[in-house]
Amino acid sequence: MMKKILVVEDNPMVIKSLEFKLTKDGHEVLIAKDGREAMKFLKEVNFDLILTDLMLPFVTGKELISYIKKNSPKTPIIVLSTSTQENIIMDAFNMGVDDFITKPFSPNELSLRVKRFLSKA
Amino acid sequence: MNNPNASPKAVPTILLVESHSIEQENFAHIAVQEGWQLVICNSGIDAIHWFNKNNKADVLVIEESSAPLNGYQTADYIKTELGLKLPVLITVGTVPTPQELRVIAFAEGVITKPFIKSTCILQINEILERFPERPPAQNNSYSLNYLRDIFDGHEESVLESLELFSTSVNTELEQLDVELQDRDYKRIREIAHSIKPSFEMLENETGKSICHLLNSEAEETEMPRLIHDLQLEFASITKQLTRDFPELKIG
Repeated sequence: MMKKILVVEDNPMVIKSLEFKLTKDGHEVLIAKDGREAMKFLKEVNFDLILTDLMLPFVTGKELISYIKKNSPKTPIIVLSTSTQENIIMDAFNMGVDDFITKPFSPNELSLRVKRFLSKA
Repeated sequence: MNNPNASPKAVPTILLVESHSIEQENFAHIAVQEGWQLVICNSGIDAIHWFNKNNKADVLVIEESSAPLNGYQTADYIKTELGLKLPVLITVGTVPTPQELRVIAFAEGVITKPFIKSTCILQINEILERFPERPPAQNNSYSLNYLRDIFDGHEESVLESLELFSTSVNTELEQLDVELQDRDYKRIREIAHSIKPSFEMLENETGKSICHLLNSEAEETEMPRLIHDLQLEFASITKQLTRDFPELKIG
């Protein structure tokens, strides 16, 4: 059975590349372009993994992570970060995110990290 | 000049220019743990001499305040005069000295001191991974190496991404003008954060550096000029893309 991954990201180029790579790796990918869309998906679908940016329109990354941790605490979260966000990443780890990957990501690194978390799901 | 590690030649070589012994020691600990070969110089001049002896490094990590040549000047010399293409990371204190954009473009990134293990490893590994895919010399606006890699050589997806770059970044740059008029500097930083990966995916260092500045240490008074420079860089990229791919809906 295909694993369901939610990608929460607003950059269209990053979305396209993630969608291409994760679909090619055999996963079902749903895209939310902002935190509000993500919340809507999370109410309707059970995901095996969530990849999320932290600087999101409408709902902040912190709010989103807090929501996921409250409502779906076993779903692993990988943060999509940039190299300028060390403090924000540390805050996210303190909130319980599982890993982070820097944008633009290395294709192999993405595959390996996703595979690692999905094998635990 | 000393070489505290005796790692095999196959591992990456980091040339560190650092005048403070405590920071040298901090970095050396990180290098040992990560298995990097580390060479330490006390000044940019030392580093230039080292390169002149045909020594090779994979990354230069140099302090901004190095003397008599500062970090950016040393990077400029090594890249322009010696013709070396290695990436350069500038190490700065908590308050970096303001630099002109032209000067900032000589470096690929900035590391804050005191050195923090996780940050150093993250930034250096990232640059080591990406450096073999630097833009080719004949095209200084963009490179398709990263896109071809991520899309496994699927050319149609690469070309669609170029159209996405043109339309999505153009929209955000227009929005930057609006936010500038409204003096919504928080939103300007958010937009810069959002579009930075687009420039990175085309391996455009200037666009990436300007977005980085807008999203981090740029003062509000610097923003109009930075936004203008970013728009010029975007125009330069799309001009080149239009020339190279006339069939695409670009511009």
